[in-house]
Formats: sequence, C-alpha cells, structure tokens
Amino acid sequence: MSEIVDDLRAALDSDRVMESKLQLHLYGRDAGVYRGNPSVVAIPETTEEVIEIVKIAGRHEVPVVARGAGTGLAAGAVPTEGGIVLVTTRMNQIHEIDPVKRTAWVGPGVINLDLSKTAAPFGLYFAPDPSSQAACTVGGNIANNSGGPHCLAEGSTVNHVLALEVVLPDGSLEVIGSEAPDPTGLDLRGVMVGSEGTLGIVTRALVKLTPVAPDIRTLLCSFSSISDAAETVSGVIARGVVPAALEMMDQRIVEAVENWLHAGLPIDAAAILLAEVVGETAAVDAEADLIAEVARSNKALEVSVAAGETERALLWKCRKSAFGAVAQAAPNYYLHDTVVPRTRLVETMNKVYEIGRRHDLLMMNVFHAGDGNLHPLMMFDASQPGMIERVQAAADELVEVCVEAGGALSGEHGIGREKRDLMPLMFNVADLDAQARIKEAFDPLGRFNPGKILPAGSRCFDQSGTLPPGAWV
Amino acid sequence: MFRSERDPSTWGVGVTSIRAASARVARRLEAPTDVEHRHPGSVPELAETLSQASSEGRTVLLWGGGTHQGYGYPLSPDLVVFTDGLATIVDWEPDDLTVVVEGGMTVAALEARLATRGQSAILAEVPGASTVGGALAAGISGYRRGRFGPTRDRILEVTLVTGDGRVVRAGGRVVKNVTGYDLARLAVGSFGRLGVIVSACLKLWPLPRASATVTLDRDFANEVYRPLAVLEESRQSSVYLAGTEEEVAAQVARLPGESQPGLLWPGPQSGPWTWSLRVPPSMAVDFVPSLPADFIHQVGVGEISFSTEDTQGMEELRSKVEATNGRLVVTGRPPGEEFEPWGSIPPGIEIQARLTAAFDPARILNPGRLPGRI
Repeated sequence: MSEIVDDLRAALDSDRVMESKLQLHLYGRDAGVYRGNPSVVAIPETTEEVIEIVKIAGRHEVPVVARGAGTGLAAGAVPTEGGIVLVTTRMNQIHEIDPVKRTAWVGPGVINLDLSKTAAPFGLYFAPDPSSQAACTVGGNIANNSGGPHCLAEGSTVNHVLALEVVLPDGSLEVIGSEAPDPTGLDLRGVMVGSEGTLGIVTRALVKLTPVAPDIRTLLCSFSSISDAAETVSGVIARGVVPAALEMMDQRIVEAVENWLHAGLPIDAAAILLAEVVGETAAVDAEADLIAEVARSNKALEVSVAAGETERALLWKCRKSAFGAVAQAAPNYYLHDTVVPRTRLVETMNKVYEIGRRHDLLMMNVFHAGDGNLHPLMMFDASQPGMIERVQAAADELVEVCVEAGGALSGEHGIGREKRDLMPLMFNVADLDAQARIKEAFDPLGRFNPGKILPAGSRCFDQSGTLPPGAWV
Repeated sequence: MFRSERDPSTWGVGVTSIRAASARVARRLEAPTDVEHRHPGSVPELAETLSQASSEGRTVLLWGGGTHQGYGYPLSPDLVVFTDGLATIVDWEPDDLTVVVEGGMTVAALEARLATRGQSAILAEVPGASTVGGALAAGISGYRRGRFGPTRDRILEVTLVTGDGRVVRAGGRVVKNVTGYDLARLAVGSFGRLGVIVSACLKLWPLPRASATVTLDRDFANEVYRPLAVLEESRQSSVYLAGTEEEVAAQVARLPGESQPGLLWPGPQSGPWTWSLRVPPSMAVDFVPSLPADFIHQVGVGEISFSTEDTQGMEELRSKVEATNGRLVVTGRPPGEEFEPWGSIPPGIEIQARLTAAFDPARILNPGRLPGRI
C-alpha cells in the first residue's frame, strides 16, 4: 500500500493524499448505512491529477471510487472493495457561465446550490434540486442522475447535462456530448449520467441553466387522510396538469418540521400536499385553480396559496429540512427511495404503513408524490439489539411491494451497493447481462467503483445454455 | 398565407396541421427488392430470425417506415427485416401519462390514438410513414423539443432484440427511475446497432387546451416564456404557442405578428439531398446567410434542416460547422450517390465499437452504419 501512497504523493501535494485511520474511516462511508475500507484517499484539483490517480490505480491494480460530498444514501461512493477514494470536492470551480447560451461549464465538485446562486443574477438556475442541494455536488448529481422536487416538470439531471469531460478507466480523457443538439454516434453522455462512477470520472460538465419562470404559485393543501392526498395527486396528473412540483408530507413529518421551524403548518392534518406551478401568470392562475378544485373534490381540509416569496421560501424550507427535523423522533433513520406508477400511489402508501406496523417501526413519509417517487423514512434506535435486521427486512418488503405495483428500485438515489442484490427483482438474467456488457465496454478490467449497481454473476447469460447459472464468462 | 385545416373547436387537440403553403411530404424510401424480406409477427419470431442470421453471418437491414433510411453509410444487406408485424399499443395508462408501444407502430397512428385522450408522445409533428421504433433508432425529435426536450428525454423503458437474438429490457414504466444503466436512452440514435427496438415506454404530455401560430418578420422568441417552438424560415419566423386559452391569448397579444389559431407546422425537407446542420444554439444564426433559401431553423435548439445538391459547398460548410463542435449530417441522398454522411468521428469511438460488439457480436444489424463505420 505504501507504494501507492508514495506514487500518489509524487503526483499530488502530499497533504491531498490521506491515509490516517480517521480519514480512512470518514471517507469510507456516505450518508447511508454502509461502510467501506479505503486504502487511501486522494483529493485532486485538476483533470490531469485525476488522470494520474487513475493511472496509478491501474499500475497497482486497485479500484478507484469517485466521491463528491458524500451525501449519497445508496452506498454508491462507499469503497466496499477498498482501493483509492478519489474526492472531487476541490474541483469546485464554475469555469464559465454563459447567460446567452444558458449554459455553464463546471467542475464536478461545485455544490449544486452554489451553481444556482451564481446563475441567479442572470435570471437562471440549475434545475435539479435534491433536498441535499446545499451540500451535494454537481458531479454527484451526475453520477446518480439526481432528481429533487422540481424534476417533475424539469426532468432529472440527465436532461440538464449537455457534455461531459470524463476520465475513462484506462486513463484516457474524452469530451462526450456537445452543446450542439443530437451528437452523432451512440449517446455515451446519456449512459454516463447515472452510472454511479462505474464507467468514468467526470472532471468537467457542461450543464444547461433554466430561466426563472415569470410567475409562480405555491399551494398548500391539507387532508384528513393519506388516501385523499394521494387521490389528489393522481387526479391532478389525470386532469392533464404537470405541476413544477407536487410533494407530500405525512402527519409525523409535519409535526417534526413544525416543531422545529414553527412555520404554521397544519399539524392536525393526516397529510399535506405542496404543489407548485410555474409559467405565464394566466397559466399559473388556471393551473392553481385546477389543483385547488381537485384537492377540494378529494375532501381537502384547507387549500391556501403562498402569499409572496417569503411564504413560498418558508414552505420549501419546511419540505427540504424534513430529513433533519426527524432527528427528534429517533436517533437513526433509514431513508428509502422507490418509485411506483402514479396511479398506484394510494394502494402503495397503505402497504407502506402496513409494513411499518408489522415490523413495529415508525414510518414517516415525505416524498415526490407527483412522479410516484416514495421516500419512506424508517425511524429506529440502532443500539437496540436486532433492530438493524428488522429495518432491513422491512426495507426489502417495501421494495418488493413497489416492484409488484409496476415500480422501480430507485427513482433518484441510485442502486449503489444498497440495492445491488435487489436488481433481479426487476430484471432477468438476460437484462442483467446486457447491463454488465455496458459496464464491460467502458471498464473491461472492472477498475471503477467495483461491486456497485450489478449483482455478482450478472455477466453470465449464455444462450446456448451450456454454462450453469452464476458462471462467469 | 396560412390555412388551418381543422375545425376551430378542436384547436390544440389532436394531430397537428401541416402548413398548406409549404406542405412537404416526408420522403419514403423503398426497401431493396433483390434480397429476402422478413416480417416477423412476434418478438420470439424476430429473435429467432436474428439468432439464425447471426449464426449464418447474414447481414440485416432493419426497416420501419423507410423515412430515415437516408442517414448513415449505405448498406448491402443479405436480408431486410421489417417491424410492421410489431405495431400495437402494449399498455397505455392515461392517468400515469405513460404508454408502452411496439416499435413497428407508426408515429401517426400512435399520436392519433393518444390524442383521443388528449395526450401526446411529443414525437415528430409531420412523421409521414415513420415508425416509433424507427424514430427512436434514428434519434428523431419533433419541433416541440424546444419546450419538451429531445425524444431521448422521454423514453422510460426499452425492449431490444439484440443481434444474436437476445431479448433484453432496461428502464421501467415509471416517470423517474435510476435503476441500472440507461440502455433505453442509449438505444435512441443507435440506428439499430444495439438491437431492434421492439417496444418502448414513453412519457406522455397532455395536449394543450389552446394553441396558436404567430408569424413575425423577426425573432421575438424572448418575448414569451417557453414557446412550444420558434421556427425561422427564409422569409419569416413563426412562434408556436400552447397552453390555456388565457395564456395563449396573453402571449399572442405581446407578439407583433399575424396570429393563426392552431399549430401550423412545416413538413420535412424534400430531397434529393437533405441535410441537418447542428451547432450550439446561439451560433446557428451565423450559418443562416450561407444556406439555401428553403431552410428550417429551430431557434434555440441549434438545428437547421435544408436541401441542396451542392455537395461541394457542403464540404466547406462542414468544416465551419465542425469548428463550433457541431456536425453537418446527411439525412437524405439520391440512390447510388456517396458522400461522407456524418463528418468527423465522434469521441469515445472505441467504446462505441465495444458496445455495438457486445450487443451484436456477429455484426449483422445495420453493420457499419454509424460514424466510424461501427
């Protein structure tokens, strides 16, 4: 190991190569529950240094695990198979903002919210807005194809990435994609986004910036049952309105947030919906009216429209700080991320609470209802014996329920290590083999972030049937 | 100069109108007749056909509606495989705004069906005979991409039959999904090199309640928030508006031009030589003066389509376009004529070649069609 460290120190300033026990512990995890054991942590500042690190890893035949701010929850950036953790947080320059083209070239370590703040004077913002946007990096957003409340209308990160400068597993550098539309050949940019650092390491990204809408309405609707709120979500979509955001918070979450922020949220309601519409004044008025009408027809207790930017900002603060607020309820939480078709929301929510009851776990829900993206939070105390196992069992059931409803394993957090072994719930051997072939085309030696996304043995499909299942070919 | 072809009571709903004054018809090529034709009627039959072709080393030309066969290097296939036997809607959940459709269904048939419930897949507005699978494989987007993004942003799930006859699925029937590598998006624009798109789940959008086309003598696109499209042609610009009645009326009032109800789209370029110029959106305007009169510039998108037989001039134009990191692509050419169809080889070509080899190991599906002859 010391040879790798020596090589890295020769390539980078020595204070940007870390191997103390504390540092290895800190960089061995993300915001989720998995732990890894990196051999060394390297913090490059330039593309050239990233290339050097990748080449050193290649020479020593060790994995490279790229990592941004570590806010991921699916262990995508956890070095579960050791190797070098490559931290991109110092590659945090906004190289260029072009207000006419509405684009920005940014380093992977730029913090999501910083980009939007920098673009704000031009009337522009970076549309993906995960709840962790004050801490998470654009590079991490690209790796996970991150979403956020407003990706309902604006789409996930992939819709906002035009081109990527990437270091490939062999240490070569390519710029894939283009500011020009429809680049020729296969769309490598599209498959790179969401690949969780397993195909390449992004060193610069050309992202789209979105113009701030001329007008906006934010509605708060409260309900006496989760079902009424969920029916409202389905009803709004079915009526042909795709709001900018459509978020649900259940009573437990509302209580926790209200207790902390004192925003005047209706704590007596079983659920609240936060709906936002943007566009021309005439459009937002009509759409806000329609949402209010659908909510009332689903027995809404109250429907109110935020009066001005201060009230709107407070409502969003309530939504985005929910995961912080829940610390009052229990010392630990496990935040899940699954998706179901929007028409299956009501039945799925009922099953989610039922799973919580059966495993005697407090289940709190705050989620992107408009795109069917659930985020059940299971609250627990990890010091209680057998608790982790109970949480895990409940989590697996949750995923099964969502897949049975025609859903997917993850809407925005990624598969990482967390859900890797659940992939066969959604895909058969031929599907997984196809996925493994994509990985192999980019990274034949399996050097980048091994052990993520695909379960072991995925590359095993053989049509002739001469190989046993599970065999590697 | 414009004529709406529809009853005013259905404005904004249903299939769009083609502008009468410049109605162009999408050119439909005919498949070569001197080789064997197959029309598989099921996915297993298609898989068997390709598996057999792979083991015999017979090359296959994939054929949907024949409207985008002018792209890429010419092929000399041993076999033509048509997708017209796979042409149904597999699953449509109007309340989810998603549809699963087989690749051989025509874009026109799909959109007509979706319009019965006031929805659209936002595919090409004047599709001619093109199929959903063909439009996806060719990476074609309609004019409304300015508002809704390119087609590849709206594919949620894909089922492919690979060159060696494997049936593989990726993605899911939900509007937001990061489960595994995005093979669905990768299939868009792959021209069949990864497999035959036998079905796809597409994200739908509600059709607007009202729409209008405003003709101007210059570009006023910035006067309105997110128009459906802004198209510049030789003598005029048109802004396409859609939304609620109030919204469209408010936008029309701000634009100093002649307004017509409905969306009056120009048809695609007619041949014999047709071209697609793709540059960073803000630079497209620099190329307009050097183009033949009959061009369509998608303002804000950076795409200009046009027709010219001056292939020599196109060599010069291409070098200027590529200096902006753009591309000049041949989208239609007379039979037997040759001209470099794509221009410079794109980055990551080795990985692209490894990907096509992984999905088509015997190299039988439209082999050599993509840039770099992969």
